[in-house]
Amino acid sequence: MATQRVLPQSKETLLQNYNKRLKDDIRSILDNFTEIIKTAKIEDETQVSRATQAEQDHYEMHVRAANIVRAGESLMKLVSDLKQFLILNDFPSVNDAISLQNQQLRSLQEECDKKLTSLRDEIAIDLYELEEEYYSSSYSQWDSTDLPLCEAYRQRDSWASPGSSCSSTQGDREDVDGPPSQETNPQHHLNGHGTASIEKP
Amino acid sequence: MANERLRALEEVEKEIAMILQCAGNIVLELSKDKHNASFLDRQLVQFQSSVNRVENELSSQIRYLTQVATGQPHEGSTYSARKDCQMALNRAEYAKVKLGELGRTCEVMLEQQQQQQQQQQRHEGREDS
Repeated sequence: MATQRVLPQSKETLLQNYNKRLKDDIRSILDNFTEIIKTAKIEDETQVSRATQAEQDHYEMHVRAANIVRAGESLMKLVSDLKQFLILNDFPSVNDAISLQNQQLRSLQEECDKKLTSLRDEIAIDLYELEEEYYSSSYSQWDSTDLPLCEAYRQRDSWASPGSSCSSTQGDREDVDGPPSQETNPQHHLNGHGTASIEKP
Repeated sequence: MANERLRALEEVEKEIAMILQCAGNIVLELSKDKHNASFLDRQLVQFQSSVNRVENELSSQIRYLTQVATGQPHEGSTYSARKDCQMALNRAEYAKVKLGELGRTCEVMLEQQQQQQQQQQRHEGREDS
C-alpha cells in the first residue's frame, strides 16, 4: 500500500520535472540568444578601453553560445526521456501494439496450419489411391486387423450406408490375397502402411 | 498510434537542431561587414517558429503523459501468440523434412529398380548370345 502511494507521486514529480526542464531550456536558449544579439551592437561610449570591451564581449558571447548549445543538448536528453517514458507508460499505444502483433502472429499461424491441413488432405488422397493399387496387387502382405486406409474408408462408408457393395469388395480382396491368418487381436485399426507380415498358408 | 507520437518526437529533435543552426547562421551573418537583411529576417522567423513548435509539441506530449501514465508496469505480452506461431512453423518445417526424406527414399528405390532392370537385360543379352 505504501509502495503504491509512492509510485504516482514519483510519476507526477517526474512529469513536473520534465515540464520544468522544458521551460528552463527554452528560456535559456531565448535569453542567451537575445543577449548575444544585444552584445553584438557596437557602442561608441565604453567605460574601459575598446580592446578590453571587445575581449569581454568576445568571452561573454562564447559563454552564451555554450549555454545555448548546452540547453539544446538538454532538450535532446529531455526528448529521449520522453520517448522512453512513452514506450513504458503509454498504455493505450502499448495495448494497440500488442494486439496488432498478436493478430499478425495468429494469422500467420492459421495460414500455416491451413496449408498443412490442405497438404495432409492431398497426401491422404494420393495415399488412398496408392494403397488401393498396392493391396489389390499380388505383392501386398497384410492381415485383416491392419486395415489400409482405403479399406478403412470403405468400411466407414458401408457403415454409413448399409446396403452398399463394400462387403463384396472386401470379399474379392480376400480372395486375391489368400485367406487371412487368424489374429489374436480382433481390433481393427487404421494402418496406412500395412507393414505387418502374416503367415500365409 | 505509438509510432505517431514517437515520430513526432523525432521531428522535435530535428527542430531543435534547426534552432541551433538558425541561431548560428544569424550570428555568422551579423559578424560580416555587410549584412543581408532578408536572410537575417528569414532565419529569425524560422528560429522563432522552431522554438514555438518545440515548446508546444513537448508540452502537449507531457500533458498527454500526465493523463495517461499510471506508474504501474504494463503486464501485457505477445508470448503466447508468438509461441503458437513458432510451433506452427516447427510443424511446417517437420512436414517439409519428412516429405524430403520420403522423396529421397522414393528416388533411391527407383534407382534400385532401374539397376535391377538393367542387370536383367544384360543377363538376358548374355543368354541369347
